[in-house]
Amino acid sequence: MTERPTAQELTEAIQEFLGGEILPTLTDHRLRFRMLVAMNALSIVYRELAALPLEDDTEQRELAARIRAGDVPTGTLRHVKADVEARLRIASPRYLEAYREAAAE
Amino acid sequence: MIAEMRESLQSLLSEMLGREVELTEPVLLAGGASKEAWAVDADGEPLLVRRAAGSVIHRHTLSLANEFAVIEAAHEAGVKVPRPYGYIPDLEGREAFVMERLEGDTIGRRIVQKEELAAARDALPVQMAEELAKIHAISPERVPFLSDTRLERMVEELDDVGEPHPAIELGLWWLRENRPPSCPAVVAHGDYRIGNLVIREEGLAGVLDWEFAHLDDPVRDMAFALVRAWRFGVPEKRLGGVGPVEPYLDRYNELSGLDVHPEELDYWELAGNVGWAIGCLTQMQRHLSGQDRSVELATLGRLGAEVEYEIVNLLERFAA
Repeated sequence: MTERPTAQELTEAIQEFLGGEILPTLTDHRLRFRMLVAMNALSIVYRELAALPLEDDTEQRELAARIRAGDVPTGTLRHVKADVEARLRIASPRYLEAYREAAAE
Repeated sequence: MIAEMRESLQSLLSEMLGREVELTEPVLLAGGASKEAWAVDADGEPLLVRRAAGSVIHRHTLSLANEFAVIEAAHEAGVKVPRPYGYIPDLEGREAFVMERLEGDTIGRRIVQKEELAAARDALPVQMAEELAKIHAISPERVPFLSDTRLERMVEELDDVGEPHPAIELGLWWLRENRPPSCPAVVAHGDYRIGNLVIREEGLAGVLDWEFAHLDDPVRDMAFALVRAWRFGVPEKRLGGVGPVEPYLDRYNELSGLDVHPEELDYWELAGNVGWAIGCLTQMQRHLSGQDRSVELATLGRLGAEVEYEIVNLLERFAA
């Protein structure tokens, strides 16, 4: 399973937001210090993610290309749905839950 | 910056309205990356100033000059739109236009939930059909700069992003295999849904956000309001979280003289979802490319999975 933005790219976006938009507004010294500590913790996460091997998306690319070419074997939809569900469990678990509840009604 | 803006607006609006007007201080309502919206009152008249910002949101959107011309055409055709006042080629260095600022709700979540708007929700399916039929009756000659939008453009946009998304590919494949006979193209709003409509207690008060206007199959324009993402957490009400589709479809057919079938709406509802799934990725790309860095745009790349889930569920239903 591959997904953009990657966890590292998302972390980077948060770092930029905190450093660029929030930190300059903090006037309370204690809060400012704690924000710097939090940003430092995020840098650790960022570097740790950077050290992970890149995920291989060859399978996804091949499947996408096959469907584009009109080659859609039986079972493709089921397989793709399971993959989207797995991504949703990370990106938006409450949406998945609410969707299933609505469908069951 | 605000003082200069006020001074420029003061003289431009006085010229536009043909009298010396007194302005309140302009308030920036939304500072999007592509466009700004300023609220200002001129002698008590509530006005909205749309002004260009740094980047463009989407390469297929209208310029402010053309967006203004479409609003003028819609206003002439009797569509409920904010009254257009005038186009300004240079407002402190950027193009802008001025229109009436309508009172009412535009926030989707509030429109589908607010108790005071229950009667409005009952009225909306028919009212939305009426405004859409008026939009589709605008003569394309009145807005000659509008371009045709083909389904294939979605494929180009997906390829521009360059990420593999089998669920979107499945949607595109189904759309290619099951294309209905096409209706002659009409002037289409392009983003006709809850969230882009001003709603008051009596119902629909105005149609906003014309930047995606183009020429298209009328049913495609009609079905965009059905896309699940625009039901704002009330999925059982298929028309924008406010009501059922049948009165919308019936009233539209009555006014347009067309005979749109529910299956055509199903087809274009799927197309709307595929388009929005790709839209999420396009927005994400604005962040990743550095054009417009934002946590919100970045996150949209992941939330596209919600739209893909709707695509695969619709495909399952169609296959059953």
